[in-house]
Amino acid sequence: MPKVRSRLLVASLLLLFVVNPLNAQRSAIDTYAITNARIVTVSGPVIERGTVVIRNGLIAAAGANVSAPSDARVIDGAGLTVYPGLIDSYTNLALPEAAPGPSPGGGGGGGFLLQQLQQQQRPPSGPNSTQPAGLQPEVMIEDVIRPGGTEIESWRSAGVTTALTSPRSGIWMGQSALINLSGDTPQQMIVRSPVAMHVGFTPLRTGTYPGTLMGVFSTLRQMMLDSQRYRDAMQIYERNPRGTRRPDTDRSLAALIPVIDGRMPVVMIANSEREINRALDLASEFKLKLIIAGGQDADKVADRLAKQDVPVLLSLNLPRRTTAALPEADPEPLRVLRERVQAQQTAGKLAKAGVRFGFQSGSMTNISDLMSNANKTIENGLQPLDALRAFTIWPAEILGVKDQLGSIEVGKIANLTVTRGDLFDRNSRIAHVFIDGRPVDLRPATGGGPMIIGQGRNTLAGSWTVIVNLGQGDRTISLTLQQEGERITGSISGPLGAGEISNGSASNTGEVRFTMSVNVEGQTKEATFTGNLANNQIRGNVTIVGSAPGTFTATRPN
Amino acid sequence: MKRLIVFLTILGTFALTAHAQTETLIRNATVLTVTQGTLQNTDVLLRNGKIAAVGKNLKASANARVIDGTGKFVMPGIIDCHSHSMLDTINEGTLAVTSMVRTQDVLNTTDVDLYRELAGGVTTLNLLHGSANPIGGLNTVVKIKYGRPASEFLFPGAMPGIKFALGENVKRSSQPNLPGVTRRYPNTRMGVEETIRDAFTRARDYKRTWDEYREAVKKDKNLMPPRRDLQLEPLVEILEGKRYVHAHCYIASEILMLISIADEFGFKIKTFQHVLEGYKVAKEIAAHGAGASIFADSWGYKIEAYDAIPYNAAIMTRAGVVVSMNSDSDERARRLNIEAAKAMHWGDLTEEQALKLVTLNPAIQLGIQERVGSIEVGKDADIAIWNGHPFSVYARVDTTFIDGDVYFDREKDLARRPELAKERATLEQAEPNKPPARGQSPQTPRRRPSSHEDDAEVEKP
Repeated sequence: MPKVRSRLLVASLLLLFVVNPLNAQRSAIDTYAITNARIVTVSGPVIERGTVVIRNGLIAAAGANVSAPSDARVIDGAGLTVYPGLIDSYTNLALPEAAPGPSPGGGGGGGFLLQQLQQQQRPPSGPNSTQPAGLQPEVMIEDVIRPGGTEIESWRSAGVTTALTSPRSGIWMGQSALINLSGDTPQQMIVRSPVAMHVGFTPLRTGTYPGTLMGVFSTLRQMMLDSQRYRDAMQIYERNPRGTRRPDTDRSLAALIPVIDGRMPVVMIANSEREINRALDLASEFKLKLIIAGGQDADKVADRLAKQDVPVLLSLNLPRRTTAALPEADPEPLRVLRERVQAQQTAGKLAKAGVRFGFQSGSMTNISDLMSNANKTIENGLQPLDALRAFTIWPAEILGVKDQLGSIEVGKIANLTVTRGDLFDRNSRIAHVFIDGRPVDLRPATGGGPMIIGQGRNTLAGSWTVIVNLGQGDRTISLTLQQEGERITGSISGPLGAGEISNGSASNTGEVRFTMSVNVEGQTKEATFTGNLANNQIRGNVTIVGSAPGTFTATRPN
Repeated sequence: MKRLIVFLTILGTFALTAHAQTETLIRNATVLTVTQGTLQNTDVLLRNGKIAAVGKNLKASANARVIDGTGKFVMPGIIDCHSHSMLDTINEGTLAVTSMVRTQDVLNTTDVDLYRELAGGVTTLNLLHGSANPIGGLNTVVKIKYGRPASEFLFPGAMPGIKFALGENVKRSSQPNLPGVTRRYPNTRMGVEETIRDAFTRARDYKRTWDEYREAVKKDKNLMPPRRDLQLEPLVEILEGKRYVHAHCYIASEILMLISIADEFGFKIKTFQHVLEGYKVAKEIAAHGAGASIFADSWGYKIEAYDAIPYNAAIMTRAGVVVSMNSDSDERARRLNIEAAKAMHWGDLTEEQALKLVTLNPAIQLGIQERVGSIEVGKDADIAIWNGHPFSVYARVDTTFIDGDVYFDREKDLARRPELAKERATLEQAEPNKPPARGQSPQTPRRRPSSHEDDAEVEKP
């Protein structure tokens, strides 16, 4: 049964101004007020200038005529906008031993084949299970999550306060939890657990059955049939234990009972039209309460999703070409080219078709893409307000926490994302993030390690003079950069052309990367700059498709 | 951008728009009826998805599409009795008995091979599981309704089937012996026989258990039903004559072995697939009532394929076996007309007998002969118009119809190419399609399609 904290929350609501002993130990200061801020409540109209009061981890008041209590720590919100904390509706956050590189499986934004390759690592395994690892629905993410870590911090720095987290791999992957991205213990992080059963369609790679997608479907069917029988047998036994032979207990089949009874939703990873249709077929066959995760081509199945009232955890890990342009390569299929372009339109089309969806990061490697890709969906037909809903109230509804999260309303958990500038403005930045009523640190973890870009003097923001050498003498261009966490934006001008940079990032080890269009030999080409910051200089290499590589040095006035 | 929305699948647009067409009249063509000879200067009327009339000077309603068939040949849509097209996976090779897996779960309606097959006049496919296991997965019979949802591909009323396999593939002859790795049972043809016998013994017990339960539950409503076993259920259907067995095999001895197991358990083999040595036991195959689905002249690609002869089709046909020519290959599937033509050369089958190899005979083997396989009034309007006799290597398909709708039209295909090239150029410039400055290596050029996909150990790319 879901150990929802709703009862606690109701209790907290009633005792709004009484210190909840459970949370008292977490912080001495528990009252904050953000004054003079623009407040986007999501549930109601925007308050152009008002105050949000946070007390005891909850939103105590919000409005134009609210004043800060005398005991509150006041944050001047002039020029700031307060949003409900953003929800990432599918992640593998807080799991131990994060895989190197992109975290596999997860939201399923990375394409089917890639997922298959990435999911080769062994799924978590439950004790005394009747089933092999990967086919154990009894696995609960709640049992393995850990607080802290740089991944959680970078998510928070992108404005995400809450995330659904699920096991990385498996067929029956296990049961997910909704966690707040702060807290010293797993117990403090969990908002709701279990939220859903998760199904991935990746075959076992152990040489045992099921080794193909066909086998996966048959295994899912057989285990659900077995679970029905187990449920019935247990009922017969419990009605009359004397005189009935005791059925063998089976944690795997027991864990599926809420699923086949339609009480626990099932999240199935499906991106292409056919994957989504297959998931819908299986859900209809067993009357499951389905949620699609990934959903890249969900717009093509929008009618069916709307009719069967199946929501989507839509990946913002938008597909893009990852292979270099080489003359010996086969041209990419037209279908693939179309799908990449159409993926940016999916969110807008789902909203128009009335399909409920929540955004998810879809195992993207650089969380700063979350907002830039959300912007791409807005440029391709999604209303900005709907984009905000897809980060807040819609996932809250889909994940069963609409009374606790997703909007700025009195009594809800005080998860707030505060920005300077509009959330979807490319030049906005995250100013504050509150989780469970407390401000959280937005900077990547410090320590005795390498230089941290973005700290103090080492922020990349400012005007740079860049000397570029592409083999035909030096050329000098101007570069203006802004930095927000690991994400950098900016523009260039000079003899190589003028425009915005894209895909800019700065790692906490000092590496800087960005891409821009340059004019070389009369053609517009994409140049990728990769360098390292040291002594207020960035030095590195320039790579241009179809041209000889070059070098660059960027300096700025001391 | 709006144009992109309109084009949903590769080349699938006219298939969608053609869906409204309810009446087509093909005038003055040579009609290869298959069952009633070749009719010269004859009209064929397609209405509401059926062949409405075949004859001279037919009248159509005012809004019918009229095609001048002068100099053209109208042939029933070709039926490929052994295909692995549009399957995302083919071989669940982890177990020797995988009757619980279903090809229907892994259909990929966007597989471009389907379109190429339509361009070869093919309209129906028997999608089979691979041959890694003595008892493989369940088949799916489809009409190639390219551009339509998977549910519309399913051939209504086709007999359910299952793939069996014998010989080298199932005893894993080509699998390396790795130290410390236990090979999957069975490793010999004896073991194959025992595996199948064991499975049917279990299926017979399973059926008895359920039969007894159904009797007993009438008296005791609280009785717990037996466990449903998805592996054994299809085998019970075989025992009850409700599911066709399509058995991959090569050599004479294993063919006789399977006939004897079938006799022992009281079921029938519907088709022997490949059956390269079928000519040696043609009488026995005919006596069992089985069909044979073969290659025209593909052999020698492994030890058990050495004893083949190109007269196989002719010898088995004369022995009374219903014979079909299949592809087992997305490539060969485009030219099954030529495979059939070879039977006139090797063994002197008549033109009608040769035509049947890829039309009526595979229809019989799939239990759909009342619907397709010949040009007769009342049958499904699944036909192709060829620009020459389909047994000529110079002939090609102009138009392919399924249920009266156009799914391939050569002229429209050619006309759309500049438009598609323009669309490609635009799409390649779009941001997500631009190659990154540093990226993964590009895909290696596609391999030529396998000529025996049955043997494919890995999933198709």
